[in-house]
Amino acid sequence: MRARTLHVRGVRRRDPRRTGFVRWGALQADLLIVVALALTVSACQGAGTTAAEGWTPSRTPDGQPDLQGIWTNYTATPFEVPDPSDTPRLYAGDPDGTGRGTGPSSFLNDTIDRKLTKERSLVVDPPSGRVPIMPWAEEQRTARLLSIQDHYANHTPWERCITRGVPGGIFPTGYGSGYQILQGPGYVAIVYEMIHEARIIPTDGRAHPGSGIRLWNGDSRGRWEGDTLVVDITNYNDKGNIATNAAAQRVRAIPQTETLHVVERFTRVDENTLSYQATIEDPTVFTGPWTVAMTLQREPDYKIFEYACHEGNLAIPNTLSAGRARDRAR
Amino acid sequence: MRMPLALAAAAALVAAAAAPLRAHHAFAAEFDGTKPVKLTGTVTKMEWINPHAWLHMDVKGTDGKVVAWMVEGGAPNALLRRGWNRRSVPPGTVVTVEGFRAKDGSTRASGGAVTLPDGTKLFIGASPDEGK
Repeated sequence: MRARTLHVRGVRRRDPRRTGFVRWGALQADLLIVVALALTVSACQGAGTTAAEGWTPSRTPDGQPDLQGIWTNYTATPFEVPDPSDTPRLYAGDPDGTGRGTGPSSFLNDTIDRKLTKERSLVVDPPSGRVPIMPWAEEQRTARLLSIQDHYANHTPWERCITRGVPGGIFPTGYGSGYQILQGPGYVAIVYEMIHEARIIPTDGRAHPGSGIRLWNGDSRGRWEGDTLVVDITNYNDKGNIATNAAAQRVRAIPQTETLHVVERFTRVDENTLSYQATIEDPTVFTGPWTVAMTLQREPDYKIFEYACHEGNLAIPNTLSAGRARDRAR
Repeated sequence: MRMPLALAAAAALVAAAAAPLRAHHAFAAEFDGTKPVKLTGTVTKMEWINPHAWLHMDVKGTDGKVVAWMVEGGAPNALLRRGWNRRSVPPGTVVTVEGFRAKDGSTRASGGAVTLPDGTKLFIGASPDEGK
């Protein structure tokens, strides 16, 4: 798994150059930022998974706890607890810091007029709020993010309009963070607004397919534990990323492999609040399991618009074109 | 970069608020933040495509020659939620767009503020700060 290829100027090469992208002078403000944050944020550990006292969800006609509705998860909570070793500009695809706050990082977006929750971090376990990523995976992430002008495959699957992944598809971002849950006998379906993804999750006890079946989003199998929908996901391919959005910071573009195993838990804790947790383990990439927790808010009036990502995805050819202009200038 | 701690703390709050708002693709790989551009011209088409909308406009240069420009905006769903619709910039509208040039030197830009004939400003993509 460590021999994954890196695409550099159309040539498939074995692994990554180690880069010294950290420019301490330029990043000094960022370091102060993370220290300030670490000192000032609350120690809230994110969403619980038990229903509010005295409240139980209604049932669907076939007796499932009713999770149906339109939910959103806009938030200002950082993905991880920040650390001085972080390199936010790299994670955002702007290692030189020339973006000047323009572009995607500062789009006016769907968070306007929203009161955003802000807790310590979405990562609630380990208690440090830091994902235990192996060094090789960070090196591969870094090499790819520094080479997106050289090959389309160095972009995340989100930028390529393939998928934001599972569980990555529910990691909060700045726009298009609407989700619709629908239930029928033996199934739960989730429609994701962002790049209009959909999951159909059987809850009838069937087993995962054989190990020869490998999928970008893995194979989801659900079951009910009390009022909690538990989804077990295996059968991933080794092409995707555990997170694709820049808000995931250090975890963005970290590879997923065939040994990835995810367990999600959805619990409706009151009429308007859905608790979500995902425990992620991949012994090829992480030194131990880690858990992300968040709440989604019911928002019946939120309109989920179609997001046909690939219809005009000029970002990839334009980025490659910028790379060729860079090469000519050298 | 040296800044007083109080200012750094203020910057921290801004950065923390901005951090989760990042979107579909990396600006810096495609556009040059050191090359701002201000274009005044006539809208030929507003292309409502995913993952990012594109505003097409004809811009007359100082030599009198008309050049076609493409300006990248946000995702159609995000633009709708911030007040854009199909009537915002019909073909023929004269607009001024502030943005940043593509790194490949083509006549493309990442858009910021779009100023309409009546002075109204709509933000098509980039930070409102760039429209000031």
